[in-house]
This record gives sequence, C-alpha cells and structure tokens, in this order.
Amino acid sequence: METFAQSLTSGVLTGALYAMIGIGLTVVFGVMRIINLAHGEMVMLGMFGAFWGQALWKLDPFLSLVLWVPLMFLGGMLLYRLLLRKIIPGGELNTLLYTAGLSLLIANLALFFWTGDYRTINLSYGQEPVRPFGISIAVPLAVAFVVALAITGALWLFLSRTDMGRAIRATSQNGEAAILMGVDVERVAMITFGLGTALAGAAGVLLAPSLYLYPTVGELLIVKCFVIVVLGGLGSVPGAIAGGILLGVVESLGAVYVSSTYKDGIGFVLFLAVLLYRPSGLFGVGK
Amino acid sequence: MRSLAPWLAGAVALAALPVFAPNSFFLHVAILILMWTLLGAAWNVLGGFAGQVSFGHAALFGIGAYVTMILYLKAGVSPWWGIPVGGLVAALASLPIGLVCFRLRGPYFSLATLAVAEIVKLVALNWEAVTNGPVGFLITGLPPLRVFGLAVDWESKLPFYVVAALLALAGLASTAWLRTSRLGAYLVAIRENEDAAEAVGIDTVRAKVMTLALSAFLAGMGGGFYAFYFRYVDPDAVLNISLSMEMVFIAMVGGLGTVGGPLIGAIFLTTVGETVRERFQVGHLIFYGLFMMLAIRYMPEGIWGRARKLFSSLQARVLGHGAA
Amino acid sequence: MALLEIEGLTRTFGGLRAVGDLSFNVGEQEVLGLIGPNGAGKTTVFNLITGYVQPSAGRIRLDGKSVVGLRPHAVARRGIARTFQIVKPFPGLTVKENVTLAAFLRHPARRDAEAFALDVLGRLGLGSRAGDLASQLTLLDQKRLELAKALATGPRLLLLDEPMGGLNPSEVDVASGMVEEIRRGGVTVILVEHVMKAIMRISDRVVVVNQGEKIAEGPPAQVVREPAVLAAYFGKRSA
Repeated sequence: METFAQSLTSGVLTGALYAMIGIGLTVVFGVMRIINLAHGEMVMLGMFGAFWGQALWKLDPFLSLVLWVPLMFLGGMLLYRLLLRKIIPGGELNTLLYTAGLSLLIANLALFFWTGDYRTINLSYGQEPVRPFGISIAVPLAVAFVVALAITGALWLFLSRTDMGRAIRATSQNGEAAILMGVDVERVAMITFGLGTALAGAAGVLLAPSLYLYPTVGELLIVKCFVIVVLGGLGSVPGAIAGGILLGVVESLGAVYVSSTYKDGIGFVLFLAVLLYRPSGLFGVGK
Repeated sequence: MRSLAPWLAGAVALAALPVFAPNSFFLHVAILILMWTLLGAAWNVLGGFAGQVSFGHAALFGIGAYVTMILYLKAGVSPWWGIPVGGLVAALASLPIGLVCFRLRGPYFSLATLAVAEIVKLVALNWEAVTNGPVGFLITGLPPLRVFGLAVDWESKLPFYVVAALLALAGLASTAWLRTSRLGAYLVAIRENEDAAEAVGIDTVRAKVMTLALSAFLAGMGGGFYAFYFRYVDPDAVLNISLSMEMVFIAMVGGLGTVGGPLIGAIFLTTVGETVRERFQVGHLIFYGLFMMLAIRYMPEGIWGRARKLFSSLQARVLGHGAA
Repeated sequence: MALLEIEGLTRTFGGLRAVGDLSFNVGEQEVLGLIGPNGAGKTTVFNLITGYVQPSAGRIRLDGKSVVGLRPHAVARRGIARTFQIVKPFPGLTVKENVTLAAFLRHPARRDAEAFALDVLGRLGLGSRAGDLASQLTLLDQKRLELAKALATGPRLLLLDEPMGGLNPSEVDVASGMVEEIRRGGVTVILVEHVMKAIMRISDRVVVVNQGEKIAEGPPAQVVREPAVLAAYFGKRSA
C-alpha cells in the first residue's frame, strides 16, 4: 500500500510536468494544425538553460525561469515569423518534415557544442526529501510541481480572460470562423507558437534538477509528449493535463508493478491503442 | 529502348568504378552511397509515392540487421542468404505494423510509426535471450566463399561493393517498376486524395500494406547488409531514430516519388556526411537537419525533381521552336 | 425488384441522430431526387450507402445483396459510384490520369483503361482537356471530371452529391443534360440537389428528408405541394 501511494504520488508530480510540455504542443496544434517535432528540443534547451545559468552565473535553476521563459517566448515567435510561416501553406506533411529537420538541427548543434555527456544539476538546498503522510517527495520535484501548477493556472487565466486568449481559443475551435470574425490569425499563430515554445522551455527548466540532461533527451520527451496529447485529444488543453498526469502515473505504477525495463513501452502501447480506438482522445467526444 | 539506356549506363559505371577507385576509402564511400540508395529507395516507395511519411523505418532496418546477424551466429546461415531472409522477415513484421498504423492518416500515421520504432527498440534492448540486449552482436570473420572458382577476399572492400551495387540496383529497379505499374498509380492516387481513391474502387489499405511490405523488404535487406559490412549490431547502431530520419532526408532531398532521387540523395548525404564527419565527428546530423529545412523551403521537389523540371522546360523550348 | 433497397437506415453521432429509420427504394434506370433543407442528412445517406460511414442500424441492399460493412472501394466494385459535393480530384494528375485510375476498376490493363477513360471524357465533353492538370480546370469542368471519374468505374448506380452547386443557369442546363444522357446509358441515379429546376426536370421521383427522416415521397410536381414539405423545406426559406 505504501509503495502504491509512493509511486502514485511521484507519478502525479512528474505527470504535471509532462502535462506542461503537452499543453505547449497541443495549443500549437490547435491553432496551426501542425505537429511540432522540434518540441522536445525546446524542452532540452530549457534544461540546458537552467544548467548553464547555474554553472556560469550561479543562477538558481528555478529562478532562472524569469530569464528563460521570456527568451524562449521571443525565440518561438521569431522561429514562426522567420521560418515556419512560409512552410505551413505547403501542407501538413511538409511542415512535419520541416520540424523534423529543425529537431535534428537543434539536437545536434547542442550535441556539438555541449557534447553528449550526461549532466546533473545540484541544488544547494533540499537534499533531504520532504515526508508528508509518510510519503517521501524529492524537493526539486515538489518545487517544480508547485511552479508548474502556478504556470498552468496563469495560462488558464490568460486563455479564458484576455482578448488574445479568447482569440487563440476561437482560432483553435474554428479557424475559418475566427478569420471571418476578424481575428488576426497571423498574430494569433505567432503568439501561440511563442507560448508553446515558452511552455516547453519552462518545463525543461523545471525538470532539469530532477533528470539527467543530455542533448538528445528531446527525442524521448517528444515521443512521451505525443502520447500525452493523443491520450488527451490533440488540440485540447484540459486533455493534455489529464493525459500528462495519466502517463506519469502509468509509468510510475508500471515501473513498480509490471517491469521497470518496459516502463517506457507501456506508454507507447497505450498510445497506439488510443490512436486506434479513440483517435479523438480518451476524453474527447467520439466522432 | 530509351528507358533501358540509363540503366545500362549505370550498370557499366558501377562495374567500372572499382577498377578506377584510387583507394579503399573511396570504395568505402561508394559502398555507403549504394547502401543509402537502397534505403532511400525503400523509404521513397512508401513516403514518396504513397505519401505515407514513416518515421519508423529504423525498426525495419534493425529487424533485417538482427535477423541476418542472429542467423549467422546462431544457425550458421551465411550473410548472403541472411540478407534476403532478413528482408523477408522485415516484410512479414511490417504486415501487422501496417494493419495497425494505416488505420491512421497523415501526421497521425507518422506518429504511430515513431511509436512502433520505439517499441521495437525497447524490445531489442530488453529481450536479452535473443538480441543480447544493449551489447548486441559482433562477428569477427566471414565464412570462406568461392565464386567462379576464385576465393573471395573478405578483407578487401570489393565483394561488399558488388553486393551493395546489386542491392542498390534492386531498390532502384523496384521503384522503376512501381512507377509504371498499376499499384504505383494507385499509390499516387492515395497520396493525392485518399477518399477519392477509395471512391473509384482502389483498396487503399491493401495497396498501402503491399507497398509497406516492399519497402520493408528493401529496408530489411539494407539492415542485413549493414550487419554484414560493419560486422556489428546493437540497438543504438541499427534501431536509432536518426536512421529513419536519414532515410527521409535522402528521399526528400533527392526528390520524393522519383526513381533517381534516392541515388542523388544518397550521394549528397554521404558526401556531406563523410566530409563533415572528419572535422566535426557527430556533427554531420546538423547539416542533415539544415539541408532538410532548406530543401523543403526552396526545393520541395528535390534535386532530381528540379533537374527533371529544368530539363523538360529546356526540351520544350528547343522542340517548341523546331516544331512550331 | 428494386435495384437499391434501403430499410430502417439509422446513424447517430454521439447523441445526435443524423439519419433516422429511413426507408426507400430505387428502381432500375430511375432518377431519384433526394432533397431536404441543409443539414437534413442527405450527404450522410450517401456516406452510409458507399461505406464511408457505417450505419448504426438498418439494411442497404443492391440487387438483393447487402452492402453494409463493405469499405468504400468494395462498394464501388459492386457497382455503386459517387461524386462528392466538394469535388475531390487528384489535383496533381492530368484529367486523363484521373479518369484512368477509376477505369482500372473494370479494365485492369493500362491500355484498355486509358481507352475507356478517353471514351468517357469524350462523352462528357472533356476530351480536349485530357492533358490538363486537374487543378487547372474551371468549376464546371471540375464537376465534369468528378462525374467522369464516377462513370469510369462502370457503375450501375450513381450517387450525385449536388452536381449543380455553384453553376450558373446555363451550366445547370448542360449538367442536367449530362445526367439525362447517363440515365439513357442504363445507369440508375440518385441525385442530391438544391437547384429545384434541375430536380423538377430530371427526377422521376423525389424523396424528401428533414432532420434525417423521410417526410414525403412521390413525383416531384406532387411532392412540392405537400404541406409537410412546404413547412420543412420551403417554409423555412420564406419565413
């Protein structure tokens, strides 16, 4: 029972961070109908941002969010404006291949400059796990979880309360209608891409103290990310949250009760099953 | 007659090349080009003709490599038999993969193939009894073989060159056959509009599954050749996602859905790769990514496609003046 | 015996009933008009007959044999062809290649298929455009191509989804003439159409659906005077 509670908790905590990565991919898909294969590399850049912030300028990894999130937001907007905008009219497969190229480029530039070494971030605090209700929780993961909740909450407010947020949701639900209603779709797309990139970067920064970081970590993360958004239904933000937490829990419980070596495989099998039998996601309305 | 001429010229060039090869590194590069031509052609029949972008071809390549290796080490089957058997096993494995993944369209199909490749890699890493886990397999020597009474020298590159050339020709010939066949026409219809293809009576699932099997057979033989030539197989070497990406790259940069594209793409990829590898070690993938982005932006029809377009517009101009 | 028999055909999407307990027959060489207000479920009926959507309940029989559960290509092989309301050409191929692909269904040899494709194109007045890319055609010619592809599969029953939509009055006359020509060639037709002039001119019988259910059936001149039809169909427009 104790093991169960323990792995359930760590599953939920990791899942919340997965969810944040998933939200980034899913909002971009919702608005632009593109699947960004370079999304995992955005997370990787966030992780290395936290690492170098600490290594070079003694920045606290969590505090470095204040620096990296706006930078990633700008970077995402520029990427859309300068590169992707011209590719998207060429069709979804071309766009998919283009982001595949981008993913290869970013990952291998990182590999070239930072080498393939596995790195870790050591925090000066929180060496001892906290133990609420007898469950041990690593401090970096707990902090990351709280910050992820705050960021997700802020995003929720942004999407539901601001004009830009409403425009994003409108475009996501019905692009043509949004154009007719006078939404500046170009601008919405640019800001959405910035937002997606910033969310991936933020998740990377938050995950950095809890994971090994290496330049090709994006490969693993992107596949997980697909699992999450497909579970929740591509384009759905609440779906991505649910999908992220579900994947976190399934992996964590699977590692304990099924097989730790096939932990990642459980997610993939779930992914294929959902793609086949519920392509609109576990929580989507079947069509 | 006209369509045979480039094939004859190609065959003669291939046969002459080792005679003029200045050193074994040159031959090594030629072997790599031929291997990648086969792999690019394998991906192209599915991705280029049928428009089904697979990110999971590394799995088919890996299955071929493992089968060839395991047959040799555990059953004593020589690689020259093991390579086609590896291709067949990959083709068989592709049937369930196709039946599952082809229920999805467009990007969803691509994501499903990615997941399948990751599952295959996980199995190879963990099913130690068969695959030897992360360690993989190594062969030290190849069995003696006599061809036309002459003993084959496995320490030279020449025999590998011959096998690679035959395989590459097989890949290109399959593509050429596909282009003029009814199946090929069906695939183009599927690429253009899948619903409309069904409406005119094309069994799209069957056409796609058959093409995937052909593609898998070629990719599996490519994997078998890799095992045979490099004498080494492990999950990272033969099931890496970047292998799938390199196959996509070759077909894309060379020219999607063309016969000659994969050859051009393979020459380009290998030349860039080998030139850069000396200076940057793993940095060649940087350039693959960059060239893929540039190709999609500025030359989505690929080098071969662009050349053909230029040639036919030139031809039209010359003939147009003459005929009119 | 009727060529096509539809009995109790029903399809729900989530909680929404798109087609409910629909029954009608189509006789050999008949032209049946299927009409109803927007969103009445007419295209869904076509999708159900041709296997793009599976029915939740009901029977569909061609010549007494069920076609339920067949995939679209198998339905085409049985002899039911369709056009799409929004035309679906193979845009990167020429007109001739488009139609040849359809002709392969009954003519496996390429030479035969090409000859048959050119024959169909000639009959529909598209012969001169055979070498043009499908994406370069005018709307009328795209509608012709859509028809040519359907005819080239050698159907017994042809389902036409708004073939006149977007055409000007003189083009509608041309298109109506083509449908009559097709019927004379021995093909049975079900026609979904909003252009009433065309429906009145070419259908032998009309089935009116509203919210997925049949509300009237009979000769066109008689049906358009029924109060239920006026209320559901025309009433909405004049109100």
